[in-house]
This record gives sequence, C-alpha cells and structure tokens, in this order.
Amino acid sequence: MSAAAHISGAASRSPALRSFEAQWLAREPDAILPLREQAMGRVLRLGLPGARDESWRYTPLRQLAARSFVDAPPATEEAIAPSASLSLLGVSERVATVLMVNGHPLLPAAIDLTIDGTEISSLKTLACSDPGLLTRFLAPLSDAEETRFGLLNKALFVDGLYVKVKSRTPTPIVILHLATADRPDTVSHPRVIIEAAPGAHATIIEHHVRQGAYTPLCNSATHLALRRGAALDHYRVFASDAESTHFDSLDIVQERDSTCRQFTIVLGGGLVRATLEHLASEPGANLDSYSLLVGHEQRHVDCVNVVRHAAAGTRSRQTARSIASGESRVIFNSKVVVDAGAVRAESQQSLRGLLLSPTAEIDCRPQLEIHADEVKCAHGASIGRLDADMLFYLLSRGLDRETAQTLLVYAFLGEVLAAMTVPTARSAIESALITQLPNPDLLRSLR
Amino acid sequence: MQLLKIDHLSARVAGKQILDGIDLEVGPGEVHAIMGPNGSGKSTLAQVLAGRADYEVTGGSVTFLGRDLLGMAPEERARAGLFLGFQYPVEIPGVNNVYLLKAALNAKRKAAGEPEVDAYEFLGLVRQKMKLMQISESFLTRGVNEGFSGGEKKRNEILQMLVLEPTLAILDETASGIDIDALKIVSERVNSLKDARRSVVLVTHYQRLLNYIVPDRVHVLSRGRILKSGDASLALELERRGYDWVVGEKVA
Repeated sequence: MSAAAHISGAASRSPALRSFEAQWLAREPDAILPLREQAMGRVLRLGLPGARDESWRYTPLRQLAARSFVDAPPATEEAIAPSASLSLLGVSERVATVLMVNGHPLLPAAIDLTIDGTEISSLKTLACSDPGLLTRFLAPLSDAEETRFGLLNKALFVDGLYVKVKSRTPTPIVILHLATADRPDTVSHPRVIIEAAPGAHATIIEHHVRQGAYTPLCNSATHLALRRGAALDHYRVFASDAESTHFDSLDIVQERDSTCRQFTIVLGGGLVRATLEHLASEPGANLDSYSLLVGHEQRHVDCVNVVRHAAAGTRSRQTARSIASGESRVIFNSKVVVDAGAVRAESQQSLRGLLLSPTAEIDCRPQLEIHADEVKCAHGASIGRLDADMLFYLLSRGLDRETAQTLLVYAFLGEVLAAMTVPTARSAIESALITQLPNPDLLRSLR
Repeated sequence: MQLLKIDHLSARVAGKQILDGIDLEVGPGEVHAIMGPNGSGKSTLAQVLAGRADYEVTGGSVTFLGRDLLGMAPEERARAGLFLGFQYPVEIPGVNNVYLLKAALNAKRKAAGEPEVDAYEFLGLVRQKMKLMQISESFLTRGVNEGFSGGEKKRNEILQMLVLEPTLAILDETASGIDIDALKIVSERVNSLKDARRSVVLVTHYQRLLNYIVPDRVHVLSRGRILKSGDASLALELERRGYDWVVGEKVA
C-alpha cells in the first residue's frame, strides 16, 4: 500500500503514529481499500489527539505517543483458552459466547453457528462475500475529530465479527474480547458490526478482558445498526488490568421506531476512553444510554457521548453514574444535538458523580445544541460526596457509619444496575464492581 | 431517675444561636409536647437530641438514661433507645425500606447483646405493623421513602418507631401534612407505644395532634427558650389565644 506515503509532515509524527503507519503499509489490500485509505490519510493528517483538542483535554497521550506498537499476535484456539474466571456469565447459563482474540474471531469451533435467529460471520468473510454491505457499515456518522481512533481502527482492522440478528433472539450473545500478548508494545484493532433486522430483538454483551504476560493497546470499534422496529440491548464491559490502555469507539444508527438500550460499564483498565456516537436517523427512534464508570486506584476513565436527533419524534435518555476513589479520575462529556426538523424530539441527560476520596476527581459536562422548535430537552449534572441528610437519617436509625456510607454508595449505583435486564450479567457485573468499592464484604452481604 | 434531663442547652446552626438555655425533664411513661411559633427552635432541639453534626452545641448538658447524650454518636443514641421521627423524612432510592428496618433493629439488638432477628419472623413482624399503619404491600420492595406522599412518609416514620420500640420517641411535626384518618392511626400507635417505661416528646406547631395524644406536660418554646410550661390545658389555651399571648406575657 502506498496511499498514505504521500501525506506530508511525516517527520513530525510521533513514534506511535509512525508505527501505525508502518502497520498500514504492511497491510494486504482488500475490498474496502478506498475507505481505509481515506481513514488512514485523515489520521495521519490530524495526528494523535493532543492538548489542543478540546475533547481530549483531560486525557493526555504524550506517554503513549512516545511508544511504538506492532500488531498483537493473532491467537489460535489451541493457544488460547480463556480462564473461566474471565467469563461474565456462568457456564451453566443459556448464553452463546463468541471468542475474539486481539480482534480475531475464533469462529469455526468456538461457536454454534445455529444461535437461533442470528447469522454470524467474520469480517474477512464478509469483505469477500458482500463488500458493498461492509462498506455501508463503515460509512462515517459525522465529521467529528473525536473519532480519530475509530478512523484508525477502520484503516487497520484485520478481521472482526459481523452479527446479524434476524428475529427475536432470547439467548444473550456474549462477545468475549480477549487481549493477550507475549511481549510489550503491541496493539489490536478489534471491530464488531451488529445489525438488527426489522423487528429483531437481541441482547449482545461485549466483554473486554485480558490474559497473559502483556496486554496489547486495544483500539476497538463497534457499529450497531438498528433497522425499523428493532430492539437491541448492547453492553460493553471493560474489565482489563491497571496497566492497560483501551480506546473504544461505538457508533449507533437507529432507524424508525427502533429501541436501543446501551450500557457502558468501566470496571477495569488503566486508561479507558470510550466514545459513543449516536444517530437517530428516522422518526420514533429511542435510545437509553446507561454508563457506570468506576474510577479506582489510578484509573483514568474518559467517556464521550454524542447523541444526535436527526428526525422528528426521536427520544434519548442518558443516565451516567461515576464513582471515583483513590487517585482516579473520571470524565464524562455528553452532548445532545437536535437537528433542524427534528421536532418533538425529547432528550434527558442525568449525569451524577460521587467522590469517595479527596484525591479523586470527576468532571461531568452535559451539553445541548438545539436547532429545532418544539423539543423537550432536560439535563442535570451533579458531583459531590455522600448526601449528609441521607447519611444522618441512616445513622439516626442506629446503623453504624461504615454501613450507612456503604449502603449509600451502593444506592448511588442502583439505578443503572436495576436497568440491566439480564440477571446473570447484572449479578456478575455487581460482583466485579463490589471488589472496587469500600467494604466489599459488607456490600456482598447486602445483595 | 428521669429518662431525659436537659440542662441549660444552647446550640447554634451556621453561626446563628438557635437554642438559648433549654431546661427540660422527661420522666418515664410521660408524654410531653413542645409547642411554639415557627422558628422558635423546636426542630433544632429535636435534631440536636438526635445528634445531627452540623448543629453545634455551645453549652449545657443532656442526660439520657443516666448517660451523657451529647457525648454519644447519633447511631449510639438510636441504639440506646432514642428515636427521632423526622419532620421531613429523606428519600433514599436504592436502599430498601425493609433492609433499613432490619439493619436498624439488628444494630439495636446487637448493642443490647441480643442475637440478630430471624429473617422470617422479622418479615412477619413488619407485615403486622404495616397492617396496623395501613401501609400498602408495595412498601416492601421500594426504596426508603421513595416516591412516598407526605402522609406516607409520616406513617413510615411511625412504622419504624413501632419496629424499633424506642424508650424515648421524639416526633417532629408528625401530624403535619397528614389527613384525619392517618392522624388517627398515627395517634393510636403512639398511644400504644407509651407505657410505664417509654416516653414521647411531641414537637408540634398545632394543637390538633394533642386532641388524640393527650400530653402530661406542654412547653412553649420561643427564641430558643422555654417560656411557659403547663398541663394539657395549656395547649388548649394556646389554641384559643395564640402564641403572642405567652411571648407577650413574658416580655411584660
């Protein structure tokens, strides 16, 4: 490949960007080459996000930019057997699990391809069998520069997973993303495309875990396409280790009368930047976005939601609960855009942060950009410590201070936990969550 | 021995002196009513007795069952048998009503060296008290006071009181914001709690509640001091003549 080589300014590129370019130059051309060229060209022109990028101001990438990355190894099924402890759901549960290792789906043996109502294939296969379809899924939702890592993924993803939900699928599908490497400074670019056909229903859980000596830098991207009347519950759960860096770009396109319930849950990782870019393209589309962001020890969590109402009578509701202890930092920026013509659009943003230590920090910023009349848009953001009135009430009933505080921390997260409708997933997420809160033993006894 | 002995208690909130030398003694089995105009310090007195941290005690002492009450943490006061029925009970979504009741009862039992309550028996007890208070079944699954009307919140306070069986119940404006039927239910329960050992302090702006719970003593509080004390007939006189009469008499 040579397209990117012509782009000027190569000398000023950071080692990281140069290493991404080297990966790009080593890729075999495929059916979507023009799209990839465009994406890579843009990444090289823009460079990695820096201090001058408003949406990255709290998340400096200087250290990362100074490193060089090579492709994380594709792993064979024989070499990789994820330990049971990494599973979000118990083995006995009725779920279908698809394993992806460093972005490579292990399809032939790992999955029963007859999951009722779905069709599953690798993106490599899709690129050969229906390049036009793949191209349509990769079209950008917007011009936003925040999605630079999404562009990088588009240029560099080697393989990925395509799930088409064709009808009502009662069994939750778990995509277990395993990050693993036997050397430092590797990178993976996992990509997942999920299409819910008209009227289809499904729950899909993407669970990011790690195993082995080193964790690759993970630059994942997921695209959700909801056709008319489809209903999709999508979870992305980040549960990597403190050494790891994860960039995840999620975009969602919703057609008429579709309903998406999206959960973003950060329980692990050293640095996690998770973006959600949403487009309600037709009337009646409905989004419920729930975020549960847990800052623990030195963790840095940066979430950006951009929700766009582009049609009349669309609705979105965002509920974000951030909690930060130790020296962690949690950032949540949410923006709702109502296009001209999107009359009767309704949006709600409820962002709340709970600080559990004097050295932790939370920043929440809800934004609204309205270009239509007759809309109902509400937003609220609050960050603070435990509510003194609630605490006193519990103490006045004889509960000791530690129990009272623990109860209130748990209650703070309750709204998002209660919205999770897969009981086993909820229970597994709660278990993992509890270990990162004060008084885990006490919390366990409360469940 | 007096159950509660307040000696020249003074307190301030956010730098403002609210209580200015309160003297009050409550004996076992007695019902006292503390009345007074808005802003006289009634609620502050209740909160100070329960141990609210942002109310600063600037002088005086309080003895409860022979112990120095002011030296006890709020949770210790509760376990020792003091109960505050809040004027504005806070909503705590995510903390279940029944869970709180059970945790509260167990904390008290533990402090008394008693074993934890049996979960099954406990639920039976709660259901029985709920029936007495005419509280609907959905209460069991809801968060503390979550989405409750003003009257429901007050009934929940009394339900908690019935489960915890305090030695001293301080009920802050329990009758305000409830309808006549609820008032009768609440009064009946408060009367049922009272025995030779247990006492009740009613903090109330209106005389209405005192038609149903007849106090042994009535005290009129104004500007952080008790201006006048008397028997139940004082409440009726206040109803007839208003607070200005007492305040005026004192000034004169």
